[in-house]
Amino acid sequence: MRLPETQLALLEAASATEARTIARLAERLGEDPASLTRAAFELEDRGLLAVEERAAETRSLTAEGERYREVGLPERRLRAAALEAGGADEPVEMGRLIGEADLEGEVDIALSNLARKGYGDIDGGAVSAAPDPETDPDADPEAEALDSIAGDADAEADVESAVLDRLVSRGLLERSETTVRSVTLTEAGVTALMEGIEAAETVGAITPELLTSGEWDAVEFAEYNVEADAETTHGGKEHILRRTANRVKDVLVGMGFEEMSGPHADADFWINDCLFMPQDHPARTHWDRFALEVAPMADLPPDLVERVADAHRNGVGEDGDGYHSPWDEDFARAVALRGHTTSLSMRYLSGQAVGELEPPQRYFSVEKVYRNDTLDPTHLLEFFQIEGWVMAESLSVRDLMGTFTEFYEQFGITDLEFKPHYNPYTEPSFELFGRHPETGDLIEIGNSGLFREEVLSPLGVECDVMAWGLALERLLMLMYGFEDIRDVHGTLCDLELLRNVEVVY
Amino acid sequence: MPVVEIDPEELKTLAGAEDKPDEELKSDLFALGLEFEGRTDNGAFELEFAPDRLDRLSVEGIARSLRYQYGHDRGVYLPSVNDAEWAIEVDESVPDERPYVTGAVVRGVDLDESRLESIIQLQEKLHATMGRERAKGAIGVHDLAMLKGRSASDAGAEGADEPGTDPTGDAPPTSMSTPATSDDPTNGPEKTITYRGVAPDGDRFVPLDDDADRTPAEVLETHPTGDTYGDLVSGFERYPAIYDDIGLFSFPPVINGKRTEVDEGSRDLLIEMTGTDQWTIDRMLAIVCYALDARGGQLEALEVRYGDRTLPRPDLSTETKRLAHEHVETTLGIDLPGADVVDLLERAGLDADATNDPDTEPSQHDASGPDIERVPRRAASPDTAPSDPDDGSGSTDESGLVYEVEIPPYRVDVLHPMDLVDDIGRAYGFNDLDPRYPDVSTVGGRTEASRLEDAARDALVGLGFEDLLNFHLTDETALFERMSLSPDDDALGARTPPRITEPYSEAYTAVRTWALPSLLSVLENNTHRAYPQDLAEIGLVAGVDDDEPTGVAEHRSVAAVVARTDASYEDAKARLSAVARTFGVELETPPTEHPSFVSGRTAAVVLDGAPVGVIGEVHPRVLVEHDLEVPVSAFEFRLEGLGDR
Repeated sequence: MRLPETQLALLEAASATEARTIARLAERLGEDPASLTRAAFELEDRGLLAVEERAAETRSLTAEGERYREVGLPERRLRAAALEAGGADEPVEMGRLIGEADLEGEVDIALSNLARKGYGDIDGGAVSAAPDPETDPDADPEAEALDSIAGDADAEADVESAVLDRLVSRGLLERSETTVRSVTLTEAGVTALMEGIEAAETVGAITPELLTSGEWDAVEFAEYNVEADAETTHGGKEHILRRTANRVKDVLVGMGFEEMSGPHADADFWINDCLFMPQDHPARTHWDRFALEVAPMADLPPDLVERVADAHRNGVGEDGDGYHSPWDEDFARAVALRGHTTSLSMRYLSGQAVGELEPPQRYFSVEKVYRNDTLDPTHLLEFFQIEGWVMAESLSVRDLMGTFTEFYEQFGITDLEFKPHYNPYTEPSFELFGRHPETGDLIEIGNSGLFREEVLSPLGVECDVMAWGLALERLLMLMYGFEDIRDVHGTLCDLELLRNVEVVY
Repeated sequence: MPVVEIDPEELKTLAGAEDKPDEELKSDLFALGLEFEGRTDNGAFELEFAPDRLDRLSVEGIARSLRYQYGHDRGVYLPSVNDAEWAIEVDESVPDERPYVTGAVVRGVDLDESRLESIIQLQEKLHATMGRERAKGAIGVHDLAMLKGRSASDAGAEGADEPGTDPTGDAPPTSMSTPATSDDPTNGPEKTITYRGVAPDGDRFVPLDDDADRTPAEVLETHPTGDTYGDLVSGFERYPAIYDDIGLFSFPPVINGKRTEVDEGSRDLLIEMTGTDQWTIDRMLAIVCYALDARGGQLEALEVRYGDRTLPRPDLSTETKRLAHEHVETTLGIDLPGADVVDLLERAGLDADATNDPDTEPSQHDASGPDIERVPRRAASPDTAPSDPDDGSGSTDESGLVYEVEIPPYRVDVLHPMDLVDDIGRAYGFNDLDPRYPDVSTVGGRTEASRLEDAARDALVGLGFEDLLNFHLTDETALFERMSLSPDDDALGARTPPRITEPYSEAYTAVRTWALPSLLSVLENNTHRAYPQDLAEIGLVAGVDDDEPTGVAEHRSVAAVVARTDASYEDAKARLSAVARTFGVELETPPTEHPSFVSGRTAAVVLDGAPVGVIGEVHPRVLVEHDLEVPVSAFEFRLEGLGDR
C-alpha cells in the first residue's frame, strides 16, 4: 500500500489503544494541524483510522496577559516597589513608584487591582503597602493561573472558574469553544501498518503522464497558497461607450425602430438646409462647422433643392413666411462633416436613402457627429448622437412624451419634464429633463420636437414626424459617473480605466 | 445659447409681481423657456434662452411675457406713436452692400444707470442674434438733443457737393437720384438727417471712447471696435455714415460718434438701424421700441425716405395668420373648445377671431397651399379624432373652425400657423398633457453593416483584444510622418485625407486615412500601463475621392496591435487567421512592402481573393517615434472583406 507522506506519518503516530488528539500529534510530527486533520479524514475514508470529535474549551493568553506573565501583574509590581520604598511604614508618593515599578501606561490598572486585592491603600496620590494583605501576594491566584494556562492549549489545567472569569474581564485571557479531534487506529489500520506502507511522493503540476499512468490516485498534491494574488490578466473587453451604444440600439430595436446609416461627410444641404436652418444661422458659420477641403457636391436632387430653397425664401403654406436671409445654392452644396445625424433622417425622409416611406415608420441611428469646438472634460470634437424619429399619419405632443417616457425609463431615468424650447426645424420643440438615477438632480437629457412643415413639405412627407436627439456620451456619463469624457473616448484614453471599469448592463 | 442678465427685483416690479419669491420666479421663467444659470456678482439672474423670442432679450420684454403668464395683460398691445418730426433721407451715395435704414424717436425716457445698462444689453444681444454680429443689422442710439436736423427744404441744395460722394452715379435703384422732397414738404417732418456713403478717408468725427477726430478708415485702424467690426465694411468702396446738419455722427455698423452719446441725463433718443435687410432692421426696431415704451418713453414716428418710396417708421403693424382648429387639436392631442383656444391665444399676447364660414371647410382648401391642404388629410388617432357627425358632440361644430390670429410686431418667431399652436401649448402648459405611447406598430432592426461590425468586434474581443474607440479626426503628422508613410506611397493609409478648412486645433485637422496610427497613439500614451497590450478598433477611415458623390470615400476599417516583449509577425497572423475563420473567408498573406512595417515581415491581407489590408511587424523606426520599448505586430483591413460579397 502507498499513502501520501502526511497520511503515513499520522497513521504511524496513532495508537490502536489510546485516542490521541490531532493537536498533540501535529505538535509531535511538526505538521500543520489543518493538513493533519485533512489527512485524518482521508484515512478514515480508507477505513484505517477512527476519528472522534468532542467539543472542548481552548484558552489563550492575550498579548497583555502574556506580558504580565513575564514581568508580573502591575499591582504586584506596584506593591513590590512600594515596599522597597518603605511604603509599609508610611505612604509613598505615586510619582516615585511609576518609574520603579515600570508602570508607564498601567498606573490605573495597578491602582485599582492593588486596592481590590487589599495589597495596599491609595490616599491623596500616595501609596501605602498593607502589612497584612488579605491574600498572600506571593501566591496570587491570578498570577498562578497565567502561568498554568500558558502552554496549555487543551485547557487541561484546573483553574478556578472565578479566576478565569476575572482574567477574561481584565482582557488577559481568551476562551473559546473548539472541536477537539482524536484518532485511534482501526484494525485495518493496524493490519496495513504491519503489512508495510510506502510513502507516496508529493507532486506539483498535474501532468498528462500523471493522468494516463493512473499514478494520480497514489500521489499527494503539493499545497498551494490559494489566498495569494495571482498574476494580473486582462481579457478583451468591448469598449464601454460601444456597449452603451449597443444597449441603446437594443432598446430602440425593441421599441420598433429601424437603424439608419449614411455619410459622415455630407453636403450642407442635407445637414442644414433641409432642416430649415437659415444659411446665416450662427451655427452655420465657419466657427462651428467642420467644412472640408473637397469639391462641392454636384449630385443633389434638383426638385428637392428647389423646394427647399423656396421654403427658406417664401415659407410653406398660404400663411407661411420664409426667412429674411439670403439662400445660396453653392453654400448648400459645400461639403462638411455632419454636425448632427439629422442629415441621415433627411436622406431617409426624402426617399433618397431607401425609397419613399409610407407611414408608420420608426428609424434611429447611434452615430458620430462633429462639432468644431474646444475639447474639455464634457465636450468632444466628435461624439455619438442618438437620433430617432417616428412617422405616422397623426402624431401629437402627447405621443412624443409617451415615446420618450418609455425610452428613458429603460435607463432608470424617470419623472421627465418637457421644457418648451426652440429649434429652427421643429415646432413645438422640447428640451427633455429627467431625474438623475443617483443624485436625483434634474438634468437635460435630450432635445425633441415635431418636424416643421417647412422641413417636411419640401421632402414630400405628408404626415407627421416627431424626432429627438441626445448625446450618447451624456447617457454614458450618467450611467458610469465619469467626469472627464476624454479618459474614455479618444487616443488620450487610460487603458487601465478601460480594462478595469465595471460593466453596466 | 444667449444669456441675458436680469435684475430680479426690477423684473418683478415690471411684471407686477413684487412679492414673488425668487424660486417661484425661476420656475415661471423656466416655463417661458428661460433657464436660470446662476447669479452675477451683483445678484442679477443669468438667464439662458433659446434664440426664438428675441423680444425677451431685455428685462422689459421678459416682464411683458410674465404679465401675460400671470394674466395681468391679455391680447395684442400696440404702443401709441406720435406724429413724425424727424426724417432720415437715404442718399444715392449709400453703399450698395448696406442699403437699408430704419429708425424712431423716443421722448421722455427716464434713464438711470441700470436702465441705461439694460438698453445697452438689449442692443448687444440683438446685434449678436438677429443682427448676425451687426452684419445684417446694427443699432445706433443717440441723444436727440445733440442732433441738429436740417429742414427738408434746405437738404436739396447741398446734394451735389457733399464730401465723399461717389461721382460715378452708379446708384442702387432704391436710393435717390435727386434729394427727396415729399409731395408736400410743409406737412412732412421738419428735421432731417441723411444716411449716405463716405469715402474711407473722408469726413472726420470723434468716435465713442476716443478723444481725437478720425476718418472712418482711421477708426478701423486705431479703435478697438473698429478692429472687431472693420471686416464688415473694409471691402466697401464707400463706408456707411449718418449725417445731421453738423456733420457725420454715426459710422454704422462700427461705432457711433461721441457727440450724440447717450447718458443718464438723456431724455429724448434717436434710434437708427442700418442693415442688409429692411424687414430684419424693422423688427429689431420694433423690439427696442416696445422695451422703451414699457419704460414710459413716448414713441414718435420718423420718416425713412428712399428715392422711390417713403416709409413711416417704426413699423408696428400686426400680421394675421389663419389657424385651423383641427391643427391645434391634432398637435396637442387633446379636445379643446374653441373658446378655450381663443382664451389661450389671448393669454399668449395674441388676438384671435374664430370664423366658421364654409370657405374654410378643409376640403375647399386644396388649392390654397401645402399647409392648409394637408391638415385634413391626417387620420386622427383615436384620442383626438373629431367625433363622428352622428354622435352630435361639440367638437363636430369646431372641425371647420379657423382662427384669424393677430400677431404683434415684436414676434419675429412666428413663420407659420404651427408656431401659434406652440403658443397655445405653452399657455395651456405642455407638462399638463398626459403622455401616451403612440398606437402605431413598426418592426425594428439593425443594418447589415452594423451587425457585421458587431460580429467582427465580438471576434476580436474573444481573441483578447481590448476594444478601443478613437477619434476619427487627427492630424496629418500622426497619419504620415510619424508612421514613416507618405500620402503618395502605394500603401494602406497613403491617400489624401479629407482636411478641415478652418480647424480650431492643430491636433485635429483631418479625417484619418487609416486606424493604426490611432492605436499607436494609445500605446504611446499608455507605456506606464501593464503589458501585454493587445488593442483593436473598428472605425471610420476616409480619403478624398472625386468619384464619390460627397467627394469623400468612407470605409469601416479593422485595426489591431499586439504589443508585448515577444510580439512577432506570427502573433498577428494567428489572430487574423482566427478572425478570417470566424467569418468563413479564406485568408492569404502574400509578401508586400509597407513603409510602416519591417521589410520581409510584411504581407498583404487578402480575403477571398481581394486585397483588403496589411499585416506585419511595425518598424522599429515607428516604434521609437512613439516612445515604445516593446515590439508591436499589427494588422489593418477593410471590414467589408469579412462580409458577404
